[in-house]
Amino acid sequence: MFLAVLTPKDSSEVSPDAMLVHQLLQRDVDAFEQLYDRHSRIVYALVLRIVQQASTAEEVVQDVFLQLWRNASRYDTRRGPFIPWLMAVARNRALDHLRLKSERQRRREDQTEELPPVIGFPQFEKALDDKRRAERVRAVMGALNPQQKKVIELAYFEGLSHTEIAETLKEPLGTVKSWIRNGLLRLKEGLQATT
Amino acid sequence: MDPKRIAALEGRIAGYDVNNCGQFRELIEAYALGALDAEEGTAFEAHLATGCKDCAQAVEEARWLVNQLAYLAPSAAPSDMLKARLMQTVRAEARAAQGSAQPKAGIPLWMWAGVAALLVLTMYSAWDARRLQKEIQTVNESAAAEFRQREQLQQELAVAKRQAHILTDANSKKFAMWPHDTQMPKLEAMWHPELGICVMGQKVPMPSSNRTLQLWLIPKAPGSKPMPSLTFWPDAEGKLVLMVENPPDVMADTKALAITEEPAGGSPQPTSAPMWVGGLS
Repeated sequence: MFLAVLTPKDSSEVSPDAMLVHQLLQRDVDAFEQLYDRHSRIVYALVLRIVQQASTAEEVVQDVFLQLWRNASRYDTRRGPFIPWLMAVARNRALDHLRLKSERQRRREDQTEELPPVIGFPQFEKALDDKRRAERVRAVMGALNPQQKKVIELAYFEGLSHTEIAETLKEPLGTVKSWIRNGLLRLKEGLQATT
Repeated sequence: MDPKRIAALEGRIAGYDVNNCGQFRELIEAYALGALDAEEGTAFEAHLATGCKDCAQAVEEARWLVNQLAYLAPSAAPSDMLKARLMQTVRAEARAAQGSAQPKAGIPLWMWAGVAALLVLTMYSAWDARRLQKEIQTVNESAAAEFRQREQLQQELAVAKRQAHILTDANSKKFAMWPHDTQMPKLEAMWHPELGICVMGQKVPMPSSNRTLQLWLIPKAPGSKPMPSLTFWPDAEGKLVLMVENPPDVMADTKALAITEEPAGGSPQPTSAPMWVGGLS
């Protein structure tokens, strides 16, 4: 199994996003506007992909950024980069909107929006901007087995479980589990290989 | 015993041994993706709770990887209206936070307005109170004047009733008081043994300035000095009505009544000849 090279995050380095989030604690409106301008597109794109409706997507995005404004203290820079945290929040909000009261929504609610402590992130991703990152991810995913890509997208964009994906695709549960795992492993390899 | 309870005691959840790290390796990516079924997720979290550092680190890496999937979403941009709504809300909340956090050095305008309104109200209340006090005082003075007038009327009524009683009672003794000067009018006197003396006359001349008329009771006992009584004047029209209260037994010891002109304030003894005298017979 490929293990990403992890290096301890340099404590003297503070990312621009982390600085802006810190300023939110002082109710700095300009800092909030900068964060919105930097990340609203990717957040909106993700949410729209999940909820499939522009009006709903804007509601969710507004909710996400207001949560950021009102609960900036919930993001701890020591726990990892800001974007993964923000995207996780956005995805969870969108999936909540996507489903009503159900077993799947219960599973989402059980999951915390806060990421567990992350020591660092793969060094090869450090210098990438959003556009380049998106191009790379799409390229790698495009190279996956279509079944692998499909099950990963069903799990990520629709919040389906193993069993639900298996029922949807009418495939064996074991096969679905294997496609998910192998697909993500290939994604990791692909991202590492393109550095 | 319940099989599930047995399994829990043995550290087995959904068929997984929570202490067997190898069983959960294949679930790491699915767990990070949120694709595990409920029981699998519970078992995996139970395994993480055992403190397996390898699996914890693997989960962190997998979560980072899963986050990259967000870039698969087609490019899209929210409307400008969304940002406008959002910024409006954020600015309003920021202002509210600043307003509550600012120190109280400055007094807001609304507070000044409140103070000014209170000051105006206080001044009006004070002015109104003074006005009311004056009104009350005026009313009290009027009431006092009316009370005094009422008392005076009551006294006059009492005097009039007394006079009427003296004049009409059968026990009253009537006698004339003749003037020394024949040009002077005759006076009439009524003496009731219990109610007193009433002397009446018309066209009685006003004494000189600083002079007054005085009534005397002349005792029967020889050599007795006249007893001084009231001083009085007729009114502007010369009408005279004099009421004198006296002890019941004075009448029996009195020979006559006399009226002289004395200095203002009266005299202990007559200083002039009687102007009128009336004998009780």
